[in-house]
Amino acid sequence: MTCEVKEKGRVGTINPIFTCQPAGAQFVSIGIKDCIGIVHGGQGCVMFVRLIFSQHYKESFELASSSLHEDGAVFGACGRVEEAVDVLLSRYPDVKVVPIITTCSTEIIGDDVDGVIKKLNEGLLKEKFPDREVHLIAMHTPSFVGSMISGYDVAVRDVVRHFAKREAPNDKINLLTGWVNPGDVKELKHLLGEMDIEANVLFEIESFDSPILPDGSAVSHGNTTIEDLIDTGNARATFALNRYEGTKAAEYLQKKFEIPAIIGPTPIGIRNTDIFLQNLKKATGKPIPQSLAHERGVAIDALADLTHMFLAEKRVAIYGAPDLVIGLAEFCLDLEMKPVLLLLGDDNSKYVDDPRIKALQENVDYGMEIVTNADFWELENRIKNEGLELDLILGHSKGRFISIDYNIPMLRVGFPTYDRAGLFRYPTVGYGGAIWLAEQMANTLFADMEHKKNKEWVLNVW
Amino acid sequence: MSTASAAAVVKQKVEAPVHPMDARIDELTDYIMKNCLWQFHSRSWDRERQNAEILKKTKELLCGEPVDLSTSHDRCYWVDAVCLADDYREHYPWINSMSKEEIGSLMQGLKDRMDYLTITGSLNEELSDKHY
Amino acid sequence: MPHHEFECSKVIPERKKHAVIKGKGETLADALPQGYLNTIPGSISERGCAYCGAKHVIGTPMKDVIHISHGPVGCTYDTWQTKRYISDNDNFQLKYTYATDVKEKHIVFGAEKLLKQNIIEAFKAFPQIKRMTIYQTCATALIGDDINAIAEEVMEEMPEVDIFVCNSPGFAGPSQSGGHHKINIAWINQKVGTVEPEITGDHVINYVGEYNIQGDQEVMVDYFKRMGIQVLSTFTGNGSYDGLRAMHRAHLNVLECARSAEYICNELRVRYGIPRLDIDGFGFKPLADSLRKIGMFFGIEDRAKAIIDEEVARWKPELDWYKERLMGKKVCLWPGGSKLWHWAHVIEEEMGLKVVSVYTKFGHQGDMEKGIARCGEGTLAIDDPNELEGLEALEMLKPDIILTGKRPGEVAKKVRVPYLNAHAYHNGPYKGFEGWVRFARDIYNAIYSPIHQLSGIDITKDNAPEWGNGFRTRQMLSDGNLSDAVRNSETLRQYTGGYDSVSKLREREYPAFERKVG
Repeated sequence: MTCEVKEKGRVGTINPIFTCQPAGAQFVSIGIKDCIGIVHGGQGCVMFVRLIFSQHYKESFELASSSLHEDGAVFGACGRVEEAVDVLLSRYPDVKVVPIITTCSTEIIGDDVDGVIKKLNEGLLKEKFPDREVHLIAMHTPSFVGSMISGYDVAVRDVVRHFAKREAPNDKINLLTGWVNPGDVKELKHLLGEMDIEANVLFEIESFDSPILPDGSAVSHGNTTIEDLIDTGNARATFALNRYEGTKAAEYLQKKFEIPAIIGPTPIGIRNTDIFLQNLKKATGKPIPQSLAHERGVAIDALADLTHMFLAEKRVAIYGAPDLVIGLAEFCLDLEMKPVLLLLGDDNSKYVDDPRIKALQENVDYGMEIVTNADFWELENRIKNEGLELDLILGHSKGRFISIDYNIPMLRVGFPTYDRAGLFRYPTVGYGGAIWLAEQMANTLFADMEHKKNKEWVLNVW
Repeated sequence: MSTASAAAVVKQKVEAPVHPMDARIDELTDYIMKNCLWQFHSRSWDRERQNAEILKKTKELLCGEPVDLSTSHDRCYWVDAVCLADDYREHYPWINSMSKEEIGSLMQGLKDRMDYLTITGSLNEELSDKHY
Repeated sequence: MPHHEFECSKVIPERKKHAVIKGKGETLADALPQGYLNTIPGSISERGCAYCGAKHVIGTPMKDVIHISHGPVGCTYDTWQTKRYISDNDNFQLKYTYATDVKEKHIVFGAEKLLKQNIIEAFKAFPQIKRMTIYQTCATALIGDDINAIAEEVMEEMPEVDIFVCNSPGFAGPSQSGGHHKINIAWINQKVGTVEPEITGDHVINYVGEYNIQGDQEVMVDYFKRMGIQVLSTFTGNGSYDGLRAMHRAHLNVLECARSAEYICNELRVRYGIPRLDIDGFGFKPLADSLRKIGMFFGIEDRAKAIIDEEVARWKPELDWYKERLMGKKVCLWPGGSKLWHWAHVIEEEMGLKVVSVYTKFGHQGDMEKGIARCGEGTLAIDDPNELEGLEALEMLKPDIILTGKRPGEVAKKVRVPYLNAHAYHNGPYKGFEGWVRFARDIYNAIYSPIHQLSGIDITKDNAPEWGNGFRTRQMLSDGNLSDAVRNSETLRQYTGGYDSVSKLREREYPAFERKVG
């Protein structure tokens, strides 16, 4: 029995796990303060991405479209970008950063977005907005390459490449969180705070979780500033927590400014959080404080209450963003669970060289499958037609009907989780995330035991 | 900043028709506008037919005249006319005391008004688009 | 009827022609917003694309079909699980969506072979499904794949399957409406007349422009069946593919959403001589009239009347309970297209609300004509609104509630305007007599939410209210100004239906009406 890595055998996608690259770039765009991205393509490429963000966060985020119509598709649509930038800047006086995000259509028709930006920089911006700081950033994210994950990776790099300057090196680190939730950013900043380490956080999205105020003034937006982005060039190290969501930027900074890049591990679970803290210690010389040892102990205590009594042997399928899936699988193993199927929703050729996947292949002592370029049918077909038995599913909301139709309990984790309330508020990373994940998994199993009357009396005494 | 826009066909401004019973026609028109859907087919030729057929049958019903129901299309216009005639009698009881001639004139005025509002005086630039 | 110029849009003067305020004594001949024009880039419009208009809005509600999009995976993912159109086959079309997963190599070398493999794979995965719709996307339109040819090829090789092709790439038109049109015409050209149905009764209709949002279609079809009417097809909510191939045999097309589906009705009239009757399932009076008209058309008005009498007696006291409490509350009626005119007048008449603004994201001038015709004086009408205009209008109009989509609803929430989902509904269905009460109930619950009351309080202020006790009920907030007669009425009552008003309809048995001889 071994861990097998394979690509989905079919060419098509039945129920996709991921959306396409422009969504990743749009997620980066909303993390930056005073920034509104323009997606160069059909209107649906923006409208639906805004919708999925609003489904996940129950908040609205601003993104614009160049509104490609038939004439543009035939004759080229660079003029639509020029007009969009003009209209956007004219009506949003605070906007300083405007990513221009390409899509399949505008990449196929071959619109020269970089050329348009040069033209706008030399023309419109000088003539019409001479006293205004405006950054137009090209992001090439054709939908037929990669996925939302690579789109995020590309966009973080493009932003960093645009802004990073080596001016006055300082003691800060760059923290590239990857595509995470506000709850994760809060937890990560908490860990850094306890370590007394300052960071440029890409991206400061705690503010996505915004209030309703009596005067109606609150809006949800990211808070990473231009200054933070410039300052990434001055940092002493870059931590890209997710290998597939930020590495490109970390490598750019390393190459350009010789800032050491520490790639991963995604700090999910106790062990990966330990590694993260030790890496921080190595990079900064700051000790890991007692307070974190205490927190770690609280987490271990919580996990000890659950692992061998309830979680051990539980067979789990996990799907979604690769770093999340791998991190969850690692944590599940520490919890004595059996991740039997990992689904990665794109065809990134780097997966086979991922040291974490290699470690799984070398060490897992039961049957585990890792499927790349996967869709939900890879999961459902195994359950429906091939006898796969599962105790738990971990993944985002788009897989909800598999859980519902096959009566398998499911913990919503990742993006998007629109069919459960407020999950974006809680961390999956750090010691806090370890507690949250393990306890939510346990409670999900408990509710299922009661729902199915499957040894529900066990919980009479615990 | 210019936006691509459909070639705007400049329509000759048509004057609203005038009728001695204008105040009453106002009421009857408003009722149709607020409660009916048949007057707003998307093209002018469909609107002309709808206005003509349904208002003709409404007039016939209000005047107690026989209504042609020989085709399924006739029946379809007729059902809209029945509801409209019933509502008119209920909401505008003055119509019940009018003579056939007066009703005929009133309904002709209403038809002219409806044609004006939905066709000849309409600002809808898609009304004559052959391809929907 | 002067055009309305938004402060935020002064820099894009062409926007001025897209909004009007209806003035006293002014008519449609005085002013009408521009409509269905290309969107101004960068304006943060709310519009979607022609692909979503075809696939997401009109195509996918068809229930027994593999819906496959030929393109990169995003179009498919994005238009999956963002709607509440259910179906009585365990929501097959809601649960499964397919993408051919076009990648860079296919863009370069063509994706027709990939498409064919996909079709075969999909039918193999779901052997019980024999029908498929293929939707073109921007990418495959631009590389010029001949989808029709591949579909023909597969149908020759697999005679048991039938495939419909909809060529409506995202860029094909100013908004999703372009896709509505394309799929209507494609369906009648390719599929209508290719199946001969079994006619089981004397009265046969197609129910057109109805998408079964939260069960709307099933509510309406229940009435039709109680009247002894055979519903040959529904275009498209909860509709079956082969039923829709037989549309040419209906005696009457009953049209609900004229924005999305009048095209096919008009063509059915021209090509097959089937009359088009526009109806309205929202609101007691419009719905009663609609049932009555259909009844009269078939000479069975008595059956319609029996249903109307029964339903009105059952639900009117509940509707009126809400009406008393919603009197004068201001509404921004900001849906996508047709609901601006379906709802504009009747929520004023039957719920006592005051519509202060209507808008349409993707509609045409024809939709605005209907909407404005049905509005009162002073109503602000906006075509293709954008984010800033919406906020400016909310600030200016200070509505008590906004009926709009999910994401714009989140914008409204921040400026403390409660929102109700006009597309997917909060707790629908909203069609039918009971549905209309559910709608009133949802509006009431939104406006009189005690949490909404709390959101307006600045707790840092010395003059912030001291609550006294730890709760308010909705009625403590809504009933203060009511007369004793209303408050203590023994006839009026709150909604008494259950959470799910639709599933039970699926179990229902219907009377058999004797067929006429001949």
